[in-house]
Amino acid sequence: MKIIIGLINGMLTSATPILLAALGGSVTYYAGIFNIAMEGMMLSGAFFAALGSYYYHSWVVGIFFAILGALAMALIFILFAVVLKMDEFITGIGLNLLSLGLTTYLVRQIDIPVTGIVPIPRIHFPGLEQVPVLGEILSGHNLVVYLTLFAVISIHYLVFKTRYGLRLRASGYNRTCLDTSGVSANRIRISSLLLCGILCGLAGAFLSLGVVEGFTQGMSAGKGWISLAAVILVSGSPVGIALISLIFGFTDGLGLFLQQDLPPQFTAMVPYIATLVALFVYSMRMKKKLIA
Amino acid sequence: MKRKVMINLIGILLAFILGAVVMLIQRKDPLLAYASLFEYSLGKKFVYTLNKSVPLVLTGLSATVAFASGPVNLGQPGQLLIGALFATIGGLYLKLPAVLMIPVLLLLAMIGGALWSGIAALCKHFFRMSEFITTLMLNMIADFFTLWAISYPLFEKDANHPQTPPISPTGWMPEWGNLSSSVLVMVLVFAIIGWVMNRTTAGYEWRISGQNSLFSRLGGVNVNKNYLVVMLLTGALAGLAGGLVLMAGPHRFIKDMGANYAWDGVMIAMVANSGVFLTLIFGLFFAVLQTGATGMQLTALVPRELIQVLQAVIVLIVVAGRGYFETLFARLEARRKMKGLAK
Repeated sequence: MKIIIGLINGMLTSATPILLAALGGSVTYYAGIFNIAMEGMMLSGAFFAALGSYYYHSWVVGIFFAILGALAMALIFILFAVVLKMDEFITGIGLNLLSLGLTTYLVRQIDIPVTGIVPIPRIHFPGLEQVPVLGEILSGHNLVVYLTLFAVISIHYLVFKTRYGLRLRASGYNRTCLDTSGVSANRIRISSLLLCGILCGLAGAFLSLGVVEGFTQGMSAGKGWISLAAVILVSGSPVGIALISLIFGFTDGLGLFLQQDLPPQFTAMVPYIATLVALFVYSMRMKKKLIA
Repeated sequence: MKRKVMINLIGILLAFILGAVVMLIQRKDPLLAYASLFEYSLGKKFVYTLNKSVPLVLTGLSATVAFASGPVNLGQPGQLLIGALFATIGGLYLKLPAVLMIPVLLLLAMIGGALWSGIAALCKHFFRMSEFITTLMLNMIADFFTLWAISYPLFEKDANHPQTPPISPTGWMPEWGNLSSSVLVMVLVFAIIGWVMNRTTAGYEWRISGQNSLFSRLGGVNVNKNYLVVMLLTGALAGLAGGLVLMAGPHRFIKDMGANYAWDGVMIAMVANSGVFLTLIFGLFFAVLQTGATGMQLTALVPRELIQVLQAVIVLIVVAGRGYFETLFARLEARRKMKGLAK
């Protein structure tokens, strides 16, 4: 029983950053932007979260800084891809590398001792905690985990139930149509990228103030790419993203669990292999659809 | 032609100005920093610049050939690592004279790289899995796999870090003074790739497929076969880069060996707009920057990591500027012609 609870908790922790970044990717997916910059936004968020938390001794400031850091990356993306009309793919790659270079440069310049960092607290529900199994699973998680649940519901609502969501999807389906009906498609695209920045910033803050305390060089370690795969696999649907992120999170937790029998380098591969398997299943399904 | 050179130079200049602003904020002297950068890399350490350019140009060529021909092979980091691993294994267990050893190891490195890109190519061929994500995931997997290989089966006894024992000295690339013969291999490969891309039917077919896949298929090009060939070739190029890094540099597989070159090839190909000659130029230029970074750090006390930022900024500004300035120049020219007509 303990193992299962541990696996589920590990799953939630590993799924959270992927899910948050993928939700950001989902918004830009609907807006019709080929956004691959989640990795860079997340990394920038992670660095600035650690910085803010250390200098102001507050995790609130940390989250605030993380969102600002990721938004700065989003603004650069907007400048190049939307304003200067540069290829989105090249912008995304350039931005990811810029973020990697910049955070590496800054982390060598500014010393952020781990001891001074105030992490994001865990939330305990007093009543729920008493319930035997359920309490251990549902209570005592990092605040960001609960925020993520809220984000899934609100992004789903935003995309499918609001006027903004309709315009967002219209921008992806047919930009000219949206433009001719009097709504600037570029404005929608810009706002979707900013929203993506906020979500990726939160994901970054969770990495450096939640999973571990402190920033290490390149700590996003491909999570942004996995979240991109998640977005593509379910064609952007927020609920689908939540499910697939949980699966990825589960494999990550499973990897840690397997560490008793396998060398750590192999267990660390598990999420990436899981992504490949998911892509394989997806392509098989598409093939069947084509034949049918 | 002149205009294209201008556009690239303007982009680089803008990136340098941005870098200077960052230095000024940190109260460092940008002029001294840039002077020491170029003095170091083009002056007394020019040979090292050339040595350093080898993996940059080769991974750059790998990305360039891939992007120009269609496949989005982003797997150079992984292919480089697997190539280096294959060369390491050959270097540890084979006993051959240098004349045979070096070609065999280079071949092994190419096979390793081609094997790794081949996995992604087969996934696309049979299951239609986009190589763009599979190569990225294979990068991470190669990273952990090589780390495992040098931590357990190939681990050098009593070493503090994960690393292998040195490969047999017959597999070391010969050096003239400090200049490594790997530079020679690079020039040779550049010439071959330039010839294949611009002077052969195969290269023509690849480039046309890259520009318009449907058109080339209707014209009778075997798109699927070309896809496989290009993926294997680009993997082999990245693998070769890995083999040369190993055989010219540390002569053993050490942890994080490929990390420095990981994404540089992709960046070089992007900024070179998938042109073979420009890839060589920008590969050399990035080598100048990376070698000069040490000089900059020594003299002007500007940390060398700034170069990483500068490289990314150069890519963004040059590529964006290419589109922007081209329309600007075209508009200016149109206006001039209009004036001519009005008279």
